[in-house]
Amino acid sequence: MPTSEVLMELSGVRKTFGTTEVLHGIDLKITKGSHAVIFGPSGSGKSTVLRCMNLLEEPDVGSIKFMGNEYGPGITGKEGKRGKPIDLRRKVGMVFQQFNLFPHLSALDNLALPYRSVRGGSLSDAQERAAHELNKVGLLKFAANYPSQLSGGQQQRVAIARALSLDPELMLFDEPTSALDPELVGEVLAVMRDLAESGMTMVVVTHEMNFAREIGDLNVFMEAGNIVTTGGSDFFDNCTNQRAKEFIGSVL
Amino acid sequence: MFRQEEGGVAPINFMWHLVWDFRADLLKGLLTAIGVSIVALILSMVIGMLFALARMSRFKVLSIFASAYVNIFRGIPALVSVIWVYFGWSLLFGHNFTVFQSGVIALTLLYSSFFCEIFRSALQAIHKGQREAGMALGLSRKRIFRSIMLPQATKIAIPNIGSMYIGMIKDTSTFAIIGLVEVVRVTQNLNSTYFQPFVLYTAAAGLYVIIAFLIDFIFRNVELNFSYPPQGRVAKFLSRKKKKKIEELMKST
Repeated sequence: MPTSEVLMELSGVRKTFGTTEVLHGIDLKITKGSHAVIFGPSGSGKSTVLRCMNLLEEPDVGSIKFMGNEYGPGITGKEGKRGKPIDLRRKVGMVFQQFNLFPHLSALDNLALPYRSVRGGSLSDAQERAAHELNKVGLLKFAANYPSQLSGGQQQRVAIARALSLDPELMLFDEPTSALDPELVGEVLAVMRDLAESGMTMVVVTHEMNFAREIGDLNVFMEAGNIVTTGGSDFFDNCTNQRAKEFIGSVL
Repeated sequence: MFRQEEGGVAPINFMWHLVWDFRADLLKGLLTAIGVSIVALILSMVIGMLFALARMSRFKVLSIFASAYVNIFRGIPALVSVIWVYFGWSLLFGHNFTVFQSGVIALTLLYSSFFCEIFRSALQAIHKGQREAGMALGLSRKRIFRSIMLPQATKIAIPNIGSMYIGMIKDTSTFAIIGLVEVVRVTQNLNSTYFQPFVLYTAAAGLYVIIAFLIDFIFRNVELNFSYPPQGRVAKFLSRKKKKKIEELMKST
């Protein structure tokens, strides 16, 4: 269950690509154990918000507070203790729309290689941990397979296991099921559902509104680089914002 | 066969047996050509990779230097390059390279520029999600390059490395001019004794063609071993331990 402890806080995050500002000052608090869902039309900036959370995109203005450190350029006059992006990323896992598994490594090594280079230790420790995580997503029997020998759904489950093997405090999901064939969406959502139930803090960008309704205890509707409205788990039933209602109606 | 000559008709005599008679010399020449080009291949790949990184660097000075180098040396003929190294260097600095060294340096100067471009395009062909996944996992820049970018770029580059190498072997033929006893130099020597240019140079060309076939075969095999999952015999042999380990893990987990 969500607590009141804030794990990550975005304040005044602005991001510009070229001459277009795509985020116009985003404020968002993610409390520990909560499951935030960000949705909205394409081009609304939801993926960019997510990518700012692990600094794959460095905000032009604004601050990201995470576990006692501040990241990003900050808001002038309010800078706190600065952290290095790599330290944040080691505590924040990310799952991509395109899976981004390493094609030249077996499923096992896709987990073991990052684990070993982040944690150090012996190869066999890393492999044991990798096998353990693959087992949790039900893919241990495919440990020796290469990504090209796995279905999209299996690849995405390996990607989730890979992120989880580093014991993240926060998991980011960037449209994790959008690149999947419809019949493969379920297995990935099942893994995510288990993860949510285990108490992991999650931020999910998705078009799967039913899934959002199911796990989302912070629902964020974005449009044109702004957060239009937010709500709790009753958001989908009691939403009063006209635009959000229209959008939900159009994708459900 | 006959040809028209002043005052009558003389037979053309193709002395193909020369090729067999002097097979040892020709093969020795071929080995020299392979030796020079292999050393140069290794050096050019290493230097070419450094140039590729310099060319993609955030530091303007580095990238301008690298791209100037590439654009100049790509255009220089091997003949000129080897004359610079063998004669020019000695004139300027009073130090002499051996013919073998000169050949290696001349080829490396030229081909590191080609390899720079091969590696640059290979690195750029890798989907940007690969680097992002590495970053998101908290890997260092060095680790991302070594363990994610480099292996994938190598695989992409292999066919191009193969055809570059065929070019390098052929370029060793111009080193006859400094007296490197490679295939063409051997042919020149034989020709000055027997005056059989057609036969001897055709034989020389034949040797290059055979070598080109061989290189193509080898690189196809290398490519197979670098495919995902690895398919060649070498890769299968190397990965058998890993497979065993995974099987053990599957049982114990």
